[in-house]
Amino acid sequence: MVKRDKHIIRIVEAWKTYKMGDVDVHALRGMNFEVEYGEFVAIMGPSGSGKSTAVNMVGCLDVPTKGDIYLEGKNISTLSESQLAQIRGKKIGFIFQQFNLISTLTAKRNVTLPMVFQGVGYRKRVRRAEKLLKMVGLGERMQHKPTELSGGQQQRVAIARALANDPDVILADEPTGNLDSKTGKEMMDFLCNLHKKEKKTIVMVTHDPRLAKFAERIAHLRDGSIVKR
Amino acid sequence: MIKDILKYSLSNLWNRKLRSFLTMLSILIGITAIFALISFGQGLNSWIDGFAQEMGTDKVFIMPGGGLSNAPGTSNIKFNEEDLDFIRKIKGVDEATAMMAISGKVGYKDYRDVYPFIIGLSTESNEMRLIEEMFGGIGIMEGRGLKKGDVLKATAGYSYTVPNRLFKRELSIGSKVAINDVEVEIVGFYEEVGSPTDDAQLYLSQEGFEEIFDIEEFEYIYMRVAPGEDPSMIADRIKEKFRKYKGQKEGEEDFTVQTFEDILETFTSILLVLNGVLVIIALISVVVAAVNIMNTMYTSILERTKEIGVMKSIGARNEFILLVFVTESGVLGFLGGLIGVILGAGFAKIGGMAASAFGLTMIQPDFPCWLIAGCLIFAFLVGSLSGLIPAIQASKLNPVDALRYE
Repeated sequence: MVKRDKHIIRIVEAWKTYKMGDVDVHALRGMNFEVEYGEFVAIMGPSGSGKSTAVNMVGCLDVPTKGDIYLEGKNISTLSESQLAQIRGKKIGFIFQQFNLISTLTAKRNVTLPMVFQGVGYRKRVRRAEKLLKMVGLGERMQHKPTELSGGQQQRVAIARALANDPDVILADEPTGNLDSKTGKEMMDFLCNLHKKEKKTIVMVTHDPRLAKFAERIAHLRDGSIVKR
Repeated sequence: MIKDILKYSLSNLWNRKLRSFLTMLSILIGITAIFALISFGQGLNSWIDGFAQEMGTDKVFIMPGGGLSNAPGTSNIKFNEEDLDFIRKIKGVDEATAMMAISGKVGYKDYRDVYPFIIGLSTESNEMRLIEEMFGGIGIMEGRGLKKGDVLKATAGYSYTVPNRLFKRELSIGSKVAINDVEVEIVGFYEEVGSPTDDAQLYLSQEGFEEIFDIEEFEYIYMRVAPGEDPSMIADRIKEKFRKYKGQKEGEEDFTVQTFEDILETFTSILLVLNGVLVIIALISVVVAAVNIMNTMYTSILERTKEIGVMKSIGARNEFILLVFVTESGVLGFLGGLIGVILGAGFAKIGGMAASAFGLTMIQPDFPCWLIAGCLIFAFLVGSLSGLIPAIQASKLNPVDALRYE
């Protein structure tokens, strides 16, 4: 028996190297980073610090060139593309700066989509999507397409979608970046609520120190690795 | 899962209605053409089958020269009464008759003259029956057949009963026509054969034919082989004996012996080759359609790169993405096929009606189930296979790159 890891995500000595012509560009240089169960972490860093790459690793969207990533104690850096998809669909809920809803689908069908990928039955997933949309206050707008919703409403659909498979981790990449400050504040309240009431692990990427203050811990990224303050 | 993929694919196609429609149109054209062409080929085939049934396969012919290459009446080699008697005596020949044929001028009232084939028949009923079987087993549908002693009397093909086909007005029993300026009375009409040439023929007794054209010799000899005999064996025997009788060397005969089956085979294979060439031309348009579908799918995938990234990030496996795009192109193909089959059937029906109006009842479309199913499956396969390469490419997109794509 492997001793249960107290970290839900653990990135060990991760390097990510891109080839640009003949030059090797190191986006990550031996990054070490852990997230504990139920933690609310903010990742901050200037552009070019490898922030995006780090987020992709945390979200299981990408694997390192060198080094390992453990999700719930399991090394995922050797998994195939489809296996990764299956895992991130189940364990991780994404909230993007651009909302990234599927524009041709209604709010309700956007929320059911992650459950489709996990093979959840039709009636069960429709019930859950309705419940989640009511929870984010969009009970009246379930049949609207993204273009018929305001930015704040779209981001709330995205939250409902991120919660669809009841993931352990919510990964929010600049979640308020495209919202006005009032709606942005609402969004942060939502995230804090998820953290406090639902005990979700939340990893948020931001460049805004005021938002980062909502987190329990702030990790600073510089030149491809986490710097201690 | 399959239901979800289908639903999602359909909503994507619906969101790009115009492009979906145009792509569908390209495959629709090919399928319409293929369906219509093959349905005519099939109709023709079953007409030939029916014709063969009526005619029976126990018949052997002797023609002058190299076979069917000569139009009746144009060859200077003919057969005479003695030839016919000789043939009758060959073992395995059940009965034989001879037929005179020539292209003649026929006038009726003041209408424009027509130039059909005039046939000279024996008035012996079994011999006449043999000739009638040659024309698909037609019988007299109105009036009476020719009988012994009829000289300036004629029976007429079906087309004479239809106005505007040969003459502006239809003939009736007792009508007087002029064959090569000799007045002849119509005593009966034959049923329809389905081919315009045969349906325009006029039939005289051999005496009448001699009287009008001053020809006593025969153009063709027809025989029925005895029951249980193999027609092609009898044909070979006739060829050999008749050659010796005529004192000709092997390979230098001035006549051709053919079984009915040979002729049918020649006729059928010519038609099938012709039909096949047309179908191949139509297939080319399907190839063009396949390229078009592929192009549409590439464009669509390019536009939806970000969407693919999003789907992957929320848990879509590569197979799901692959199936979505293959389904989209497959549905385009299938719909194109469906509409193509419907339009093809419509065009074929119209074509068939037009052919009937010109007396070509032999050219009628036939819509067997396998043709309908085959066209649908074919169209679906063309669609999904054309979409396969773009779909594989889409499914392999790296989610990080795809998400960043604008």
